[in-house]
Amino acid sequence: MDKSSISRPGQREGLFSSAVYHLHLYFLLLRAQARSQAVYRLSFALDAVGSALITLAEFAAFALVIPRFGTLSGWTLGEVALLYGLAELAFVLMDLLFGGFDAPNLSGHVRSGSFNTFLLRPAPLRLQIFGSDFALRRITRVFLAAGILAYGVSASGIVWTPEAAFLLAGSVLGMIAFFGGLFVIGGTLTFWTVESVEAMNVLTYGGRTLISYPMDIYGQFLRKTFTYLLPAAFLSYFPVLHVLGRPLPDGLPLLAAYLSPLVGPLMLAAAFAFWSVGVRHYGGTGT
Amino acid sequence: MQAALPSSARPNVALYASVARLGFRRQFAYPQAALWGLITNLFFGVLRIAVLVALFGSKPQVAGLTVQDAITYTGLTQAFIMALSLFGWTDLMRTVHRGEVASDLLRPHDLLYWWAAQDAGRAVGQFVLRGLPMLTLFALVWGATFPAGATGWLLTTLSLLLAWACGFAFRFLVNCAAFWSPDAVGIGRFAWAVLGLGSGFLMPLAFFPQWFQTVLAFTPFPSMMNTTVEVWLGVKTGPEAWAAVAVQVGWALLLFALAASVLSRGLRRLEVAGG
Amino acid sequence: MITVQNLKKTFRVRRGGLLRGSSVVMEAVRDVSFSVGRGEIVGYLGPNGAGKSTTIKVLTGLLVPDSGQVTVGGLVPWKDRRAHVARLGAVFGQRTTLWWDLPVHESLELLRHVYRVPEARFRQNLRDFTELLELGPFLNTPARALSLGQRMRADLAAALLHDPELLFLDEPTVGLDVVAKERIREFVRHVNATREVTVLLTTHDLGDVERLARRVMIIDHGSLLYDGALASLQARYGSPRELVVDYEAAPTDPQVPGLTLLGADGPRVRYGFTGAAATPIARVTAHAPVRDIAVKEPEIEATIRRIYEGGLLRDAALLKR
Ligand SMILES: Nc1ncnc2c1ncn2[C@@H]1O[C@H](COP(=O)(O)OP(=O)(O)OP(=O)(O)O)[C@@H](O)[C@H]1O
Ligand SMILES: [Mg+2]
Repeated sequence: MDKSSISRPGQREGLFSSAVYHLHLYFLLLRAQARSQAVYRLSFALDAVGSALITLAEFAAFALVIPRFGTLSGWTLGEVALLYGLAELAFVLMDLLFGGFDAPNLSGHVRSGSFNTFLLRPAPLRLQIFGSDFALRRITRVFLAAGILAYGVSASGIVWTPEAAFLLAGSVLGMIAFFGGLFVIGGTLTFWTVESVEAMNVLTYGGRTLISYPMDIYGQFLRKTFTYLLPAAFLSYFPVLHVLGRPLPDGLPLLAAYLSPLVGPLMLAAAFAFWSVGVRHYGGTGT
Repeated sequence: MQAALPSSARPNVALYASVARLGFRRQFAYPQAALWGLITNLFFGVLRIAVLVALFGSKPQVAGLTVQDAITYTGLTQAFIMALSLFGWTDLMRTVHRGEVASDLLRPHDLLYWWAAQDAGRAVGQFVLRGLPMLTLFALVWGATFPAGATGWLLTTLSLLLAWACGFAFRFLVNCAAFWSPDAVGIGRFAWAVLGLGSGFLMPLAFFPQWFQTVLAFTPFPSMMNTTVEVWLGVKTGPEAWAAVAVQVGWALLLFALAASVLSRGLRRLEVAGG
Repeated sequence: MITVQNLKKTFRVRRGGLLRGSSVVMEAVRDVSFSVGRGEIVGYLGPNGAGKSTTIKVLTGLLVPDSGQVTVGGLVPWKDRRAHVARLGAVFGQRTTLWWDLPVHESLELLRHVYRVPEARFRQNLRDFTELLELGPFLNTPARALSLGQRMRADLAAALLHDPELLFLDEPTVGLDVVAKERIREFVRHVNATREVTVLLTTHDLGDVERLARRVMIIDHGSLLYDGALASLQARYGSPRELVVDYEAAPTDPQVPGLTLLGADGPRVRYGFTGAAATPIARVTAHAPVRDIAVKEPEIEATIRRIYEGGLLRDAALLKR
């Protein structure tokens, strides 16, 4: 038997081939998830349509009442759709990517022992978590969000420039990383206590809803909290203000509109640092 | 047990009362989670108030509601989320899918009453735990208003109980889908989305275009919350309010009758399919 | 292959609420030392809560001990996780490592990529294991639809696909019927013999141990009580052999000189004795007319039970091999 023919993970290898291996593995894990969900075909279809309906109902409710009022303190339905669509698109993409870190899923893995199974496999732990809860049914929400965003873009008469494209794409990427970071933090907290799950909901789902509407409607206190304390305003509000040709609040420099792709990854990096602490704690207790 | 009398002919009040008490007490098992739930509801309440206030702008009144009414409306909806299960409820379908319902059947009680008692207890528990604190906070911080006079309170209380009854029967019906389909969860998602829109949870129904309100008036959904809010706010008073409550009574009776008949069909199907 | 020195692992167990509760330190494993050579099969025994699983979790790198030195094949399990786990296979009792909704062979195929097993080697192993464990009939069945015995077999295959040098089995036969147990034991014996896989096995079924392990370690309350050959455990702590005698009629005095009376139930009388059976049998037949005689060997089960219950081994003197 030739054992040496098996290349052991963890041994030195080229950066490129290691990246290819990891990407391939991630893809295989996602495919496995997708395949197992597609087994229950009708259930999957119902779930897929149903999960988009909640978002649709929420946005429809807003769209249905706005004719009675005209605007939302100066924002037209199209302009709100821009914010709403961006937030929903980023959040649902994030949910697809980071689902494994979501507190209920992660604590489920810890309880069921599948977290130990991940640790017993010679693949990066985070990669395995990324590939562990891919809820394909959310795909319909991606389309819905893209639709709302497309309506927002066309109805608010945005002039397509490379700059506008960069701002909006950067905004989505920044939000994916930012909310992904919140998911990672929430998941990590469950290594200590599962009662933290509800607490994180305020930040994740609350944050998503918060940035779905123009932030000037929240009053000074909330807006400043979510600008300077938790930098949520940088994610989509400032980029959209700039794309719409409106000035930024507080006399902030235009640069603030471009910071989303920076703020999000910073949050994610901090979250993963915390994650490492959590995994080390897990090794001490094996809860 | 007396063999001569089918147990359903004489509802065992003591049993259902104790089931309700159990459902009530179970809500207090995780006070920390409840506290965070309350904070989440409150945060969303603040966001929703902001949206409504911004919509009103400087308009004193829209569709018969003032800004203050809109704020009270928000407080009420946030307070009722858990008590009226406005985000949905899947307890029954879970027991059906897991086959636990078969063991429920071995006991001499009516399944619909049993679940209704349990849900009533749960609703009261959640109202105490999450609803009352929320209303108090809204009253203290945003000056949410309360029903006017004894008649107002009487009507509101009646309407709230009926809203629970309509909502419960509707949720129960949706859950009964589990007897026929393993995909009841997906079906439920449709139902809960419609419930959110049609009951006035997402926006007061009065703000919707007239055609949409007309459509909704033919459905039981406004009876599951919007009516209660309108009676509470005094938008509907006197005979108009009594009429609205009468409509709720009608829907409650109809939905309960429907739930009972669908349940018995479902159970028969379960027996045929062998659990 | 495995060396463990002065291993200690404690858990802090919270009592009561978050604020007013106190925490109690629970010593799951205290000062355990042993070593296991390549190709050995070692049975790791002990009553519930003794610290078996905790030891295995440390050895597999899932838990970091409080103190002590552990090396497995030259690596410290919790320091170099990926390199360490690449060389081991583990099956934890009731928990599956297979993807719940995927057909078994797809799970195995996925694991091939996770462990980077070369295609040819994978095919070879899959063929061998399919034959040995009779996986054929359910390779296309999703894990969720497998019976416990089938799932266990699939899990064993999954744990060995990448030719690990070490196999950890934590209660691999729990809940299985006699035939399924036997098939799994046979398989473990086979991979140990043909592939030199070192096996550390915890179990409450002494049949597993009798069938597989020449060496056993017994742990209780976190301390190692015995480490040595199964045979000598039996010789030293086993109960006496038993003679079951059916007399023609219930004897007025069942006592027979030189034999210990264990019990009498009408004409059936049980005696304990040591050594060869010839003399005791002669004495009994001389004592009264006999219809039938059987010799019952002491069961390892009873021996272990006596050890657990009586704290037989707790005297420090008996600790050494
Ligand atoms: N994560 C943990 N947190 C707290 N205490 C633990 C934890 N894991 C194990 N323990 C405790 O440590 C002790 C040893 O447990 P362990 O699981 O190692 O026993 P075991 O020998 O495998 O028992 P069994 O035969 O029941 O599987 C037990 O008292 C157990 O309650
Ligand atoms: Mg154990």
